[in-house]
Amino acid sequence: MTPLHHMGEFVRTALLQIPLPAVRTLFVASLVVVLIWVIRMPSSRTTPETGAKRWDENLKIGACVALALQIVIYSWM
Amino acid sequence: MACNLGIMLLASAKMMAAVFGWPELWCILATAGLVGVYTCSGGLEAVVFTDVIQGVVMIIGCLLILTVGLYRVGGVSKLMDRLDEVSQQQANSTDASENSPSSNTTTAETRHQTQLILPVDTPTPFPWPGIYFGLALILSPAYWIGNQAIVQRSLGARSEFEAKAAYVWGAVLKNLIPIIVAVPGLIAVALLPDLKDGDMAIPRLVGEVLPTGARGIFVAAFLAALMSSVDSYLNSAATIVSNDFYKRFISRCVTESSLLMVGRITTIALVLWAIAFALYLRTMDEGSGLYAIFQTLMAFFQGPAFAILLVGIFWRRATGNAAFAALFCGIATSVSLFAMNQPALCKAMGFQPLFKISEPFLYFSVWSFVVTIAVLIPASLLTTAPTAEKTALVFGMRKMES
Repeated sequence: MTPLHHMGEFVRTALLQIPLPAVRTLFVASLVVVLIWVIRMPSSRTTPETGAKRWDENLKIGACVALALQIVIYSWM
Repeated sequence: MACNLGIMLLASAKMMAAVFGWPELWCILATAGLVGVYTCSGGLEAVVFTDVIQGVVMIIGCLLILTVGLYRVGGVSKLMDRLDEVSQQQANSTDASENSPSSNTTTAETRHQTQLILPVDTPTPFPWPGIYFGLALILSPAYWIGNQAIVQRSLGARSEFEAKAAYVWGAVLKNLIPIIVAVPGLIAVALLPDLKDGDMAIPRLVGEVLPTGARGIFVAAFLAALMSSVDSYLNSAATIVSNDFYKRFISRCVTESSLLMVGRITTIALVLWAIAFALYLRTMDEGSGLYAIFQTLMAFFQGPAFAILLVGIFWRRATGNAAFAALFCGIATSVSLFAMNQPALCKAMGFQPLFKISEPFLYFSVWSFVVTIAVLIPASLLTTAPTAEKTALVFGMRKMES
């Protein structure tokens, strides 16, 4: 056993103490934080300079759909 | 990058060989020749246009095998039942060979096949710390923000907004990939329980599940996906060598036509290297699947490269010399961790493998990322600070000026 083995075993044991429901919360919460960041973003950064003429030119919609799908997937699977 | 090109060529050759019965060698040469020719002749524009067509073909082909495969299994619930049965059979055969009492292996195995969040002590390469810290926080951002093939496409967009839109709508489409790629893998487990080589799962599934005409569509889809990656890698590598190396260090006054020739020669050289590496991999039989080899090679470099990119974007005191030293230390870390996990070396040195999961490439990226940052920060403070001209694009500095 090398010092790296001992260090790895310490980290492994510590991570094993975290229950899987808490881990799932961590995964979902991280995605929710990013979703809030996207929603709060000024529209000048998510639409063309001339303004959004079509729905798909509002990038907030696409980003929110992608993140919402991930939230659903990580909440259930 | 060059080694991964070889892996991609071998993967496409395995698919064609399994479905059509063609010799693998000829499949490697044909794929390499085809991609090399259109990358050489068309450049980034050809790569982008073929990628759009290939992307559509790939999604249609994968949806086809998903639909037909699920129909053959009898639906999602039958698929889950069948996975339980297969796990039970595997557990029984293991118990019989090891003469040990049966346990809850079936449920655990099925859970490992269908759950996204797996415990730290899972035998698979995907425990949750690896997925969260290694994949979500390091490898994925490293690929989407720092990979030359992706960055080059963004820089080729008509405007900054269109580059942003490509990322965002690409992310929406990316949500389909686990369904159309991972579920067919589960269908293969359910329908082909005798399968030994994981790399042959999809080729055999295609051969046994799809009717003759549909097989052609799926092979076209698979090749489309691989060729799309190969052409992007070839094109971006040629750009790096011609612009960032040849023009910068060998001939500053080079003409555009000469630069184009350097790019084409680089493409041909990389294709030849990829063919040689694919042929070398064919001779190896060490039990690692092509996916694991690919990800391990990526993990050697992606963690350190992303650490440097991240610190360089947010900290104006970071220096080039420190970045070079940190990159070297980071790559040395991931390669050393890989070596310390090899059974032959462990046996020779008399210790257990460092990691308890199989193919721990996600952990390589985490530790190499940490070591790179740990070296980069003090090394930057010990070296001469960069000039104001060089730090003009650093995120923190731009924010302060605006």
